[in-house]
Parts: sequence; structure tokens; C-alpha cells
Amino acid sequence: MNRYNLWIGLLGLGILLGLWTTFKVYSVGFAVYAKTDVLVWTLPLSTYIFFSLTSAGLAFVSSFPVVFGIKRYEVIEKRTVYLEIAVLLGSFVCLILHLGAPLNVIYILLSPNPASPLWWLAVLYGAYFVLLLSAFWRIHTGSISKTLGMLVFIIAIFTSTTLGWLLGMTDARPSLNASFFSFYFPLTGLASGMAALLLFTMIYNYLTNQSLTADRDALFNEFARLMGIVAGVIGVLFLWRTVSGGISSTAVEYQAFKHMVGSIPYNIEFWLGLVAPTVLMLVPKIRATVGGKITASALLLVGMFAGRLEFVLSGVVRPLGQMAEGRPEIVSYMPTVYEVFVALFGFAVMLLVYSIGERYLKLEAVPD
Amino acid sequence: MPRYAMVIDLRRCVGCGSCSISCRNENNVAEGFYWSHKITETSGTFPNVRYHYIPTLCNHCENPPCVRGCPTRAMHKLDNGITMHDPDKCIGCRYCMINCPYGVIYFNWKNAHASWKDNKAVIPNVTSSPAEEVRKNGGKGVPYFNPERGATLPDIRPKGVVEKCTFCDHRVSRDKLPRCVEACPADARVFGDLDDPKSEVNQLLGKFRPFRLKEAVGTEPAVYYIRDFSSAGYPRTKGGV
Repeated sequence: MNRYNLWIGLLGLGILLGLWTTFKVYSVGFAVYAKTDVLVWTLPLSTYIFFSLTSAGLAFVSSFPVVFGIKRYEVIEKRTVYLEIAVLLGSFVCLILHLGAPLNVIYILLSPNPASPLWWLAVLYGAYFVLLLSAFWRIHTGSISKTLGMLVFIIAIFTSTTLGWLLGMTDARPSLNASFFSFYFPLTGLASGMAALLLFTMIYNYLTNQSLTADRDALFNEFARLMGIVAGVIGVLFLWRTVSGGISSTAVEYQAFKHMVGSIPYNIEFWLGLVAPTVLMLVPKIRATVGGKITASALLLVGMFAGRLEFVLSGVVRPLGQMAEGRPEIVSYMPTVYEVFVALFGFAVMLLVYSIGERYLKLEAVPD
Repeated sequence: MPRYAMVIDLRRCVGCGSCSISCRNENNVAEGFYWSHKITETSGTFPNVRYHYIPTLCNHCENPPCVRGCPTRAMHKLDNGITMHDPDKCIGCRYCMINCPYGVIYFNWKNAHASWKDNKAVIPNVTSSPAEEVRKNGGKGVPYFNPERGATLPDIRPKGVVEKCTFCDHRVSRDKLPRCVEACPADARVFGDLDDPKSEVNQLLGKFRPFRLKEAVGTEPAVYYIRDFSSAGYPRTKGGV
């Protein structure tokens, strides 16, 4: 058995595990999650947010050549757009397993509520997916569509900022940091999108023993440095979020976020996801190595994954109103094995779709 | 069209829990769910301490964040001011639970009334099993099953969707008071039409200074609280330094 088949088999196992989880979730109910009426949003949703923002970030990267005319990035355009599709599919898996009655999603069309950011998000994602498939098809058949590229870029801005609006609208939970996330989400999405692309490209080159041409080497060094800068900027914003909501705010609603400051996901996000990649990618000697790029991008992704969980929990761990009756001031959270399986399911689907594309769709090809 | 509201007189409320129990019976509410509940607080420093009891339910807000955020209009307002929920349209995203500042919306994590399906007697050969109790009483899911609830909402809500107090819309539409109001032995709950200047709720709101929960959030709750109970007195004093 060769390495590729073994990898596909492993991902197949992940998908089987995911299907088993799906069966359990919809037969037994959401009781298989770490359910309480306080912790209503947990790991499945945070994983969805991670994938969804990574996908938006990849859309920003794919806009470099198409929207901003930076032609040297055309060489990675096909892989970027395809990875965007794979990541988006992973997000859909996690989203479906977050919804209690996914078949009723038809009512988003039959009984629309344009006042709801969630409704806009559903509509935008539907359009986003169709546009992405069309954009990839054009690239696959040899040409880049500027119009489709522009539409994908615009819609990615709207999906990532609408996610911020969705949480910014919750006056009941200001610890979700309101409209701050309409800015923070696209920026962190860009960081994780860049990290995903760098990681996948570097691993592909490493596994196929391909040596990079001088042009491509320079391109990826520039890209890695840009990723380090973005991570650094996010690190500064992250600290200000901590100072404003986690330290200086006296509002009781911020107790949830204050609890998360210093928690394990918080530290992973800051030290591994932001500080380490910034330092690694701003040191030229480390940046120039494949190992350095792989380490920095992998750490950034791990940090962002933890960060999405930290963010979701900072909104829900403090019970509100009558839900606080008989409960501690802060409710602790540990994901159940089924919640972990949902996250693994999302990763398995994303990686399987990507691996098949890498094998059969010539992602290295440069469009005309 | 009336605009319904409830006034809860905290001086009359004795904290007996009749509202919660009657609500459970009327609406076939599952264990762990509290369409009608309470917030209890203790204030002061020992030995000068006091216990406060505030009955709670859905506030049927005029500006309900749960309705604004619902992507499918499953959570919606009726013309009479009641905030209603349609499980057939609910996608189970729980965004309403995130948006509600009062924590009054519950999610069906599993099939309701699971413990009543148990065929095992608590004490073998002495007591009946929960499932036998349900059968004996001709109930559906629970022995105290009320089929009238099914008039406007599934009588027992399926798993995967949210649920909450409806001001007993199925009773109100037949000119009956909400069950919690009817069951209150102290008449601490007064229900009526805010648009009728002569209604009992308006009379009380004009007589006593009301407050509502978390008014600063701007949701404009339709549940008002008046007065407070305390039998305590204290000798006249200006304090001291």
C-alpha cells in the first residue's frame, strides 16, 4: 500500500467516525454533546467558525492576483481556490452537526428574516459556494475570471464581517465583544487562510520532493513574511481586547471573558498562534527554511483553532437570567468525545476533498 | 387587538411555586425545562441577611432580540404581543438562546420525558414503572399529559428545537387566563391588556412604580414587577461614623 492510499484510508476512517457521530447526534439527540442550557454553543460551532474564516482568508489570498493585480501570485491561484472549497465543505459539516433540525433549513428560503444576520450568513454562504465552484471551474479549464474573482472577494468580506455582526448584535452578551469582531474576524481569517495555504503547499513540495524555483522560493518567503506581519498585528489587537474587556471593564457581563483570559485556549491562541509565528517568520534564516514555514503556519492554525473556541466560550460560560439559578457563576466546559469527533469529521472531509484534488486536478497548474 | 402584559406583585407572591407546577402540567413541559421559573438572591451580610424571590417567565418583549435574530421567523410576534415559537420552522441554531438576556429559552437536547419511558419499577412488585403510570393515565409521554396544549403548538416538542413560555396563547385565544395566573393562590399574577386604559394591569402600573428585568438592554419586557415584600422594620436612625 502506498503512502497516498494509506492517507486516504485514514481520512476514510475519520469520515466513518463522523458518520457514526451524525447517527448518534440525530438518533439520541444533542445530549451526546457537553449539553447544558448554558453552554449552547461549543466546539462544533467554534470549529465551523475556524473553517469558515479560514475559507474567507483564502478568498482574500486568491484576490491578490485577480482583484489587486499582483500577478506573481497567479502561480498559487488554483491551489488557493481549491483549498477554499475544501475548507468550506469542512465548515458545512460542522455547521450541520451544530444545528438541531438541519432539514428545516429550507425555511431560510420559505420564511426569510432579513433582520437576522444568521439569515444573511446562510444566503451569503450559498452564493459563496456556487461562485467558488464556478471560479475554480474557470481556472481548471485554463483561465481566470476577473469578475468571479472579484465577486468571491466581496462575498468573503461580507461572510466574515457578517459573522462579526451576528455576534455584535447580541446585546445580552457584550463579552462577545460586539462589532469588534467585524474587524477582527476578517483579519484573523486572513492569517489562518495564509497559514493553511503555506502549510499545504510546503507539505506538498516536501512530499513530492520538488525543489522550488528561485521565483517561487522568493514568492513563498514574501508570503511567509506577510503572514508573520499579519499575525503580529493581530497579536496587538488581541492584547487590546484583553485590556479593554478582560482587565479594565467593570461590567459584570465581561466576567465570562475575564474567566477565559489566561485559560488554556487563550494561551494557545496568543503564544502559539500569534507570538510564535510572528517571531519565526520575522527571522530571515528561519523563514527561508521549509521546516520554519511549516512550523509557523501549523502553529498559527492551531492557535486560531483554539482562539475560536476561546471566543465562543467567552460568550456562554456565564449563565444569564434564570439560567443562573442553582448554577455557579461560571460554568466549566470540557468537550465530549462526540464533539471532538465532529471537529475530526470536518477536518477529514476537508483533507479528503483536498487530497483528491491534489491527486487528480493538477493544482500546480498556472492559469493563462 | 389587545397587547397582553403581566404584572407580578412581589408583595403577594409567597414563592410557593404553583405557577411553575401548573405551567408544567398545562404545557407538558419536560423535566429540566422551566417555562416558569424564579431568580433567588440573598442580600446583606450575616447576621443581617435577606432572601429575595423573583418569579420569571418569558418577558414577551416588545423589542425581542430572539425574534430579530431568528433566521426563519420560527420565533415571531403575534398581533396580541405574545412572542411565539414555531418548532416546524426552527433549525435548532440556538441563536435565540444566545440573544435572550433573560435565559428563558430552552433547547430540546433529547426526546422529551425520557424518564417516563422507563419500564422498570422504582420498587419491584410494589410501585408501578413510569411507563405503566403513563399508560394507566392514558397520557402521551407523561401521565399528566394535556392535549389542549396541542391547539397551537406540538403538545410535546420534538428534539432539536427550542421552546419557551407562550403566555398560554392556546388559553388566551379562548378568553382564558394563562394557567400560572389562574393557579396563583395569592393572586400575585395579574394579566391583561396594556392598550385598555381600564384594565387591571394598567390600574396597577398607574398605582405602583413598576420595574422590569434588565431594562437597560432596551427589550421592553411585557412582564412588570410591582412592590416588594418585607415585614422588617428598623429604629429611626441617621447611621454613624
